[in-house]
Amino acid sequence: MSHLLELTGVSKRFGGVQAVNEVDFHADPGEIVGVIGPNGAGKTTLFNIVTGFYRPDAGKMTFDGHNLVGLKPNQVTRIGIARTFQAVRLFANMSVIENAMVGQHTRTRSGVFGAILHTRRTVEEERRIQLKAQEALAFFGDRLIPRINQLASELAYADRRRLEIARAMATEPKLLLLDEPAAGMNPAEKDGLIELIGRLRDEKGYAIVLIEHDMPVIKGVCDRVVALDYGSKIAEGTYDEVASNRQVVEAYLGKAASEVQ
Amino acid sequence: MNLVRANFKTGLVGGSVIVYLALVGILERFQDRNVITGVVGLGTTLVLLTMFGTGYLVSRPKDDGTSQPFGEGLVAGAFAGALTAAVVLIFEAMLGAGIQVRNMLVSVTPDLLDLLEFGLGPGLGSVALVAVGALLGGLAGALRLLPEDVRGAINYSLIVALALSLSEPLMDGILRGLGIPRRWLYESGGLTIVGTIIVVVVTAYLRWQWMRRRDQIAETRAHMPEDRRILYRRITLVALVAVLVALPWVVGPFISDVLGTVGLYVLLGLGLNIVVGYAGLLDLGYVAFFAVGAYAMGVLTSTASFLVKPENAPFAEHGFTNFWIALPFVVLIAVVIGVLIGAPVLRLRGDYLAIVTLGFGEIIRTLVLSDWLAPYLGGAQGLIRVPPPPPAALDLRDPQHIYYLILVFGLLAAFVVSRLGDSRVGRAWAAMREDESVAEAIGISVIRYKLLAFAMGAAVGSLGGVFFAAKIGSIFPNSFGLLVSINVLSVIILGGMGSIPGVVVGALVLVGLPELLREFGEFRLLIYGAVLVLIMILRPEGLIPNKRRQRELHEQEELVTVGELVTEEGPA
Repeated sequence: MSHLLELTGVSKRFGGVQAVNEVDFHADPGEIVGVIGPNGAGKTTLFNIVTGFYRPDAGKMTFDGHNLVGLKPNQVTRIGIARTFQAVRLFANMSVIENAMVGQHTRTRSGVFGAILHTRRTVEEERRIQLKAQEALAFFGDRLIPRINQLASELAYADRRRLEIARAMATEPKLLLLDEPAAGMNPAEKDGLIELIGRLRDEKGYAIVLIEHDMPVIKGVCDRVVALDYGSKIAEGTYDEVASNRQVVEAYLGKAASEVQ
Repeated sequence: MNLVRANFKTGLVGGSVIVYLALVGILERFQDRNVITGVVGLGTTLVLLTMFGTGYLVSRPKDDGTSQPFGEGLVAGAFAGALTAAVVLIFEAMLGAGIQVRNMLVSVTPDLLDLLEFGLGPGLGSVALVAVGALLGGLAGALRLLPEDVRGAINYSLIVALALSLSEPLMDGILRGLGIPRRWLYESGGLTIVGTIIVVVVTAYLRWQWMRRRDQIAETRAHMPEDRRILYRRITLVALVAVLVALPWVVGPFISDVLGTVGLYVLLGLGLNIVVGYAGLLDLGYVAFFAVGAYAMGVLTSTASFLVKPENAPFAEHGFTNFWIALPFVVLIAVVIGVLIGAPVLRLRGDYLAIVTLGFGEIIRTLVLSDWLAPYLGGAQGLIRVPPPPPAALDLRDPQHIYYLILVFGLLAAFVVSRLGDSRVGRAWAAMREDESVAEAIGISVIRYKLLAFAMGAAVGSLGGVFFAAKIGSIFPNSFGLLVSINVLSVIILGGMGSIPGVVVGALVLVGLPELLREFGEFRLLIYGAVLVLIMILRPEGLIPNKRRQRELHEQEELVTVGELVTEEGPA
């Protein structure tokens, strides 16, 4: 059976550091996969490889029938992978709606002449972009819609996280990569996030891969968990399986801790 | 006592400014220029303004809330006056003792001292300096006690009166051109007393009303029906265009010529605004596109061009083609060169990009100057005999005529640039400017949009070169130095990055101001520099910053849609 996203033996080395080491990884439609591991384990590097920011030194990557290796980030977005960033990276001096509208870029075509002449096609397309962007913002209830004309930099932190997800949604992806979405959130917000990720899968049908340090969040949403350490995959399975895995406990807490257990 | 100690230093700084202005000769030289005729000259005005400014600065609200604006201003102003008085007395004493002060300080003349003493003699004059300083400083401080709208109105009216007085040569010409009576306002180079009072009172009142009602007006505007708002916008636009059309006949040929140059810079600024303001690519070699536009037009239309020069005669009767046929080709050539220059710098960001583009600008200048290309581009001799655009009957070299040509293309360029900014392309540029990596991750092909920005910037900027060639009629390599790039960049920084009205205002200030300041002779560039520094300190975001357009939702129908979406997909 072929997976939506499939990585086989993917490696990446930076100078003397083996950031990602022969990792096999896959995600299926409608699946939520968690990626865990200590700092520097290669989680974000893995995301950067998948989204085309880094080219893998070795290994195969396919997505939805496309070969991913060698694609540029914008091409990766076009075939249906969207991502958020570990530290929120919005277009700070653009309005909330504009941030989401940029997300529609790969799904639209108007160019210079359409823009200057306001051809019928451009006007209609512009309208569609607005609607799609609002649709993405409306997913967050009344959190973003009332602030549609504010600058992204004026939003509260949690709303910025939401807007980043909305911007990714506006690219109409099949797979959503979330890099530490719970970072900086309080427990109540984390519960909201767990619910939100579930809705993203159930209502939008996305496959979701998330990097997260927060174990309750991983436990709350993930169908499957992959653990990385020093660039290598050390465990894979349900949350309980991975959480009780000796190597994983060692990676997080050190060797002594696992012996105590 | 605390009050004195705290404001003593600022007072001395103010006093030093006055002494400096006096010693470099500005005060005496400017005194000939009337501000209010028969009452005060520009030199004395500068002294008074410095005292006022010292008081105003020192009395700004403090963080700890222990503000005594009147006292602070009074003390600082008094010390400013006292320092000046002390210096004056020293010079008087030296003169009295027969010491030749002017051997070292050439500007210290009896006239200067007389000016500083308000014509009252050393004794009374020194007392007056301290008293006037204290009075003006105190007044300035007291302004802080007034409500903001009143204070704003007073400051504004004083600035307007000063500006009106200083622009007398220009304004007087305009009023005469319009046939408006002007004797009540101006008299031998300055404002009349009555005129000053009227101007101050009227502008203060209008400004006060505006400050009070600003919010209300904005409110009304926001609730105005869409079609009504569009109508008002159109009316404003038509009025603006009408003014622009009437301008050259009102101001006469000399100012029209300046306006033409301003227009060239507007074109260049609009083009660079795409590259720097929209796409965030710092281009320090923008003069390259200006040169390409001018030289391409020159080669294609000059009667001395290598394309047409007959064997034995130095000049042909006609150029290779005429202005209008050449124009689209020139723009096309500029676009190609824009892409060629853009391609090698695609991977560079920020400072590195700036340095490389700087290099390209110099390469173009060196190329047009080179012996290698001299047979085609004329080398140091330049390209001459570029005819004005046909038809000859319109005499499009006349400053009052070519102004219209530049105006038409300026409006066209402004239209194109504004449409581009507010489109999918413009959003892609903005995203790229904000965060290149994220823009790429969102699906924007950074390479493609960088090249597009260079190409569009080149196309608009080349128009500047085209009209430069048509306006001057000859093209020389030294017109395309680094200074042009810097000036154009200054135009958009001064006006406000990414703002189209900003480009126009920026060009007016940057190109127009030096022309208006001509009567200040050798101090022209000093004042010009000071004004630029002041503007950037007071308004670092530019004169007319680009507020991200508040995109009004297409009120009814879309809000309904949004409402549906919220209920449909909102949290269950």
